[in-house]
Amino acid sequence: MITAPLRKANPITVLILGICSSLAVTAKLKPAIVMALSVTVVTALSNLVISLLRKGIPSKIRIIVQLIVVATLVILVDQFLKAFMYDVSKQLSVFVGLIITNCIVMGRLEAYAMSHSPWESFLDGVGNGLGYGMILVIVAFFRELLGSGTLFGYQVIPQGFYDFGYMNNGLMILPPMALIIIGIIIWLQKPEEER
Amino acid sequence: MSDRYIFRYIIILVLIVSVLLSGAALLLKPYQDMNKKNEQRINILKAAGITGIDNKNAEQLYKQHCTAEHDGDLPYYIIDGKITVIPMQGNGLWGPIWGYIGLSEDYQTVVGAVFDHKSETPGLGAEITTEHFQSQFSGRKMQRNGDDYSVEVDAIAGATRTSDGVKNMITNTLEAYKPVFEGNE
Repeated sequence: MITAPLRKANPITVLILGICSSLAVTAKLKPAIVMALSVTVVTALSNLVISLLRKGIPSKIRIIVQLIVVATLVILVDQFLKAFMYDVSKQLSVFVGLIITNCIVMGRLEAYAMSHSPWESFLDGVGNGLGYGMILVIVAFFRELLGSGTLFGYQVIPQGFYDFGYMNNGLMILPPMALIIIGIIIWLQKPEEER
Repeated sequence: MSDRYIFRYIIILVLIVSVLLSGAALLLKPYQDMNKKNEQRINILKAAGITGIDNKNAEQLYKQHCTAEHDGDLPYYIIDGKITVIPMQGNGLWGPIWGYIGLSEDYQTVVGAVFDHKSETPGLGAEITTEHFQSQFSGRKMQRNGDDYSVEVDAIAGATRTSDGVKNMITNTLEAYKPVFEGNE
């Protein structure tokens, strides 16, 4: 249950969900990891809560109930980041709030948590969060390395390279390159999946 | 399921959620205020050319170097008894911009400046928060045309309106603070 969303049913590369935020927060590794963790927390806990409530939720207003649960969790995460990781929360800015509209979260609630037991749903949420996070971290790794020559803000490309005329690729910092990297990941993954 | 059940369900859910959220907001408020305060302290010290400050030592360094003063209702900060740091507020292209500018003892030279914004375009106007843009101000001379003060600004290509906003903000602020400069001259 945890491993399926990492590859076979990866929310980003297979289901093509949650692309917007993965373009926006992957210019550097640190915000990408914080975002990945935030999404994992939200998917896991909202799956758990909805699964616990699933027998009582009136089906006419189930989407509203799901939204309330997701929004509550997102606000909690946002407040928490503002209190304890202020720098990162400034970089993530609106994208933490936008987890509410991230299709992965609502998608898992509708497709899985409404019809499975709490523990299974919780694991499904963790798996999907990690599947999302994994892609985010891979993209951020290449973007930060090639775009800024750093990882976690530390310079990793030796100064000597720059003296020989190596230059950071400014394009990598811009969102379109994230789309291209995601495209390459999908391309690499596709043949394996069809087998 | 009856309508009554639906109403009861949603009202109880919303009540639980609101208690939860207001509890969390109350609990975390002191930490968040502290962060905001530290950010302001870091910006003031940065405008005075003091670097290497982070969230942890901001309070201590601020107390060590800085005294808050005011002239009428014009607040400003004196760093180490020499540098005057003035808060600025203005308008960018999409929303408010603000910052601090540090001036030398004789008010002739800019020591440093920091800027921040609410909603300028990433990659264009938002570049005013970068070191690259802000470092141009240190050492720049303050110009005096008759009664007007101004500071030259190298605009960001593609962000003319934001750059103009920065320039106007500096000019307007310096004009408003004339009493401070003239009183201490």
